[in-house]
Amino acid sequence: MAGHSKKEYVVVFFVLTLLTGLEVGLKYMNLSRTALIGGLIALALAKATAVALFFMHLKSETRTLKLVVGIPLLFPALYAIVLISESIYRSGFTLMATAH
Amino acid sequence: MSQAAEAGHAVSDEKGFDFGKASSGKVAMWIFLLSDAMSFGGLLLAYAILRSGSHDWPDPSKRLGIPFTAGMTFVLICSSVTMVLGLAAAQEKDKKKAVFWLCLTILGGLLFLTGQVKEYTGLIHEGAGITVDNMWATFFIPTSFHGLHVFTGVTYLSIITIQTARGKYTDGPNASANNIEVAGLFWHFVDLVWILVFTFIYLI
Repeated sequence: MAGHSKKEYVVVFFVLTLLTGLEVGLKYMNLSRTALIGGLIALALAKATAVALFFMHLKSETRTLKLVVGIPLLFPALYAIVLISESIYRSGFTLMATAH
Repeated sequence: MSQAAEAGHAVSDEKGFDFGKASSGKVAMWIFLLSDAMSFGGLLLAYAILRSGSHDWPDPSKRLGIPFTAGMTFVLICSSVTMVLGLAAAQEKDKKKAVFWLCLTILGGLLFLTGQVKEYTGLIHEGAGITVDNMWATFFIPTSFHGLHVFTGVTYLSIITIQTARGKYTDGPNASANNIEVAGLFWHFVDLVWILVFTFIYLI
């Protein structure tokens, strides 16, 4: 099918490699715990989204298939936010606060 | 190539569920991957809850080799791009090129598994183990579950590659690369999950 160009695949590959390097770099910079966690999660989600959209061709699927895939993932995300927040709150913010 | 030949059996009906040219196999794989994502989600969430409630969780970078694992992550990213290039070659009816890229993809998977065996052996020699503490339990369970997926992917792709070499997906007017695309979905998902595992278990 002509819909997916090889050039696009190679560009996505380089972006993924670059972001992986950035993640490792972030780890060794002296960032605050909150900034490190926030930055790493943002980069990981960007990479995962790029794989789904370009390598798994989700961007060229119909709206129905996109929704079938996307909507169910919102529930575990919501579940995670609620449970992790609760756990952090009860333990006195150790995950966010401890240096190591 | 006709759209119908490329798509296999298209799953669409008149009631508004429009999957376009996506074959039933592709839609089924997506649904399976969603259920698989829930399994990984459960394991990662168990880890997150244990860790965020702990006062003395060790820094993973003190126990795990971050540069080595970054290399393993790179290997999986490489094997994802070779997978899509193999699919593109098959869609262009270029059997030789398709087999070449698919073989490289399998090689990437095998390299990843070798890396994981090396990593586990080293860690276990140093006294790590599933039942040692919560950190090791929530390290070994998600990563070995992921390793099992890589092994499954290598097996799956080996079968697909043999079929490709026999011309099943490229020769003849009705040949369709759909099965390669569906196998690719599984393979990319394994890469996608590793991206998240690398961040949550190794880096954070």
